[in-house]
Amino acid sequence: MSPLIEVQDLTKKYGSFVAVDHANFAVEPGRIVGLIGPNGAGKTSILRALLGLTSYQGRLRVLGLEPLRARAQLMRQACFIADVAVLPAWLRVDQAVDFVAGIHPRFRRDRAQALLQKAQIKPSSRIRELSKGMKTQVHLALTMAIDAKLLVLDEPILGVDLLARRSFYDSLVNDYMDETRTILITTHQVEEVENLLTDVLFMDKGRIVLDASSAAIAARFSAVAVTAERLQAARSLGPFHERRALGKTVMYYDGADPGVLVAFGDVHTPSVADLFVAKLSGGGA
Amino acid sequence: MSTYRWLIRRELWENRAIWICPAVIGAVLVLAALFGRVDVELPATAPRGPAVGGLLLFALGAVFVVVLSIYCAWYLLDCLHADRKDRSILFWKSLPIGDAATVLAKLATALIVIPVVYFAVADLATLLIAFIISIRASSWFGASLWRADLWLQLQALWLYLIVTAGIWFLPVAAWLMLVSAFAKRAVTLWSILPPLALIWLERMFFGTHEIAKQLSNRLLTGYPRTAFHDIPGPVFTGSHAAPGQGVDSLSVWPLLDPLGFLTNPATWIGAAVAAALIVLAIRLRARSTEL
Repeated sequence: MSPLIEVQDLTKKYGSFVAVDHANFAVEPGRIVGLIGPNGAGKTSILRALLGLTSYQGRLRVLGLEPLRARAQLMRQACFIADVAVLPAWLRVDQAVDFVAGIHPRFRRDRAQALLQKAQIKPSSRIRELSKGMKTQVHLALTMAIDAKLLVLDEPILGVDLLARRSFYDSLVNDYMDETRTILITTHQVEEVENLLTDVLFMDKGRIVLDASSAAIAARFSAVAVTAERLQAARSLGPFHERRALGKTVMYYDGADPGVLVAFGDVHTPSVADLFVAKLSGGGA
Repeated sequence: MSTYRWLIRRELWENRAIWICPAVIGAVLVLAALFGRVDVELPATAPRGPAVGGLLLFALGAVFVVVLSIYCAWYLLDCLHADRKDRSILFWKSLPIGDAATVLAKLATALIVIPVVYFAVADLATLLIAFIISIRASSWFGASLWRADLWLQLQALWLYLIVTAGIWFLPVAAWLMLVSAFAKRAVTLWSILPPLALIWLERMFFGTHEIAKQLSNRLLTGYPRTAFHDIPGPVFTGSHAAPGQGVDSLSVWPLLDPLGFLTNPATWIGAAVAAALIVLAIRLRARSTEL
């Protein structure tokens, strides 16, 4: 089976600024991929290119289509929330449901209505009357009701409170996700999504700095809390990052043998959030 | 086809002024007919008779046509700009709608849907006003409003205007849409300044006024000259509007020149220019996101 998303040498420039610098990656169907990076890393530029919203250099195929040329066709099978609070202020919630139902062949009205009801949003409200969190809920309800092969979410839960965020991610995994679907998600709040990701892509300064499945991360990366007297010995094994914590130094290794590391202290698999910090603060070693 | 139906419905949801504006004008005119003075003392030399009523009906229509033209220009300038400004373009583009469909639906809204709405509201208002006046005013005036041939002419003139003006002003509409798709701000200035700059450059370097002539022809003088007969036929018939005498009827039929309009090269050159501008607007739309 060919990849759902293929990105080869993708470059996006704004004037002389290079937002995406020769990115390469592929996403297979049935995965939940986290595209993670600091502000200005180029995440949004990659998403926009994937969704046919912007021009780019390089080769790009999403569901076998060239996004910029065939955006309308692509959107029959893919859907996205490119940013929060982009629903037009003048639109009424029931009009939004009617419109998407009229336009989109894969939209399931009953599902959207159930989600809106759960979020306690009145169909007669105008978007401008809703709080930021509720606007996001409406957008999520419209998007999640589409039977899409690819769902792209850019900071999808901004402005939504903790309870609603949890319930959104739960329903994303339990109700929405199945082996025919693929989700690409970017967020600042790595901790909230790391348990649902099957793959992570780290981005920094326009480059993909890590492209690995969660399973591969567990196999590849280790973190050890080292006491001061073993510091030199631990350093000799070449950690790529060090961090001081509670009087010990946590060292992060890529591809080191846990059997060897165990001599220096407790070995654990770093969380995606820790790994993200470790990878992107770079140096240290 | 159902995509276009939804896109046009969307335009009516967003731009409620499309029907509110003519409804308000209609309401004001109806109120004026209800409470204003309707029995105007005509000087003894003024013509009386059916044609006077006819003139009133056409004058009412003209009020709507003036507002309609201004509103359409505003709508076209705004239509590809507003959703970039409020960022909702990111929502619309997440739906399976081609950029060509989006642009063409908006063009059709401006040149067909909005004029038809104005036509319908104007007709309804005119009917009400004629009814009110025929009750309140003196009998000859009231009677002059209820002539089947007058009403038929009114409908025909509206339809003729919608079709011919829609075609004649296509390049103007397309230019406004292109500006709307292109400009980041100050859409009004962008719509006016480039043509003015061209006129000025032509005068500077060639000392000619060809562009100015073409533009004023397209915007002002060209339409009546192309769609209507140069020398109006006898609009007033009967006793030829001699002072103090009755005027039997009023006829717009001799004025209309559909054949001349459709066979005039200017009509189709304009349409071709419009097609090119629309293609450009669609291309711009395909590459644009929020501002």
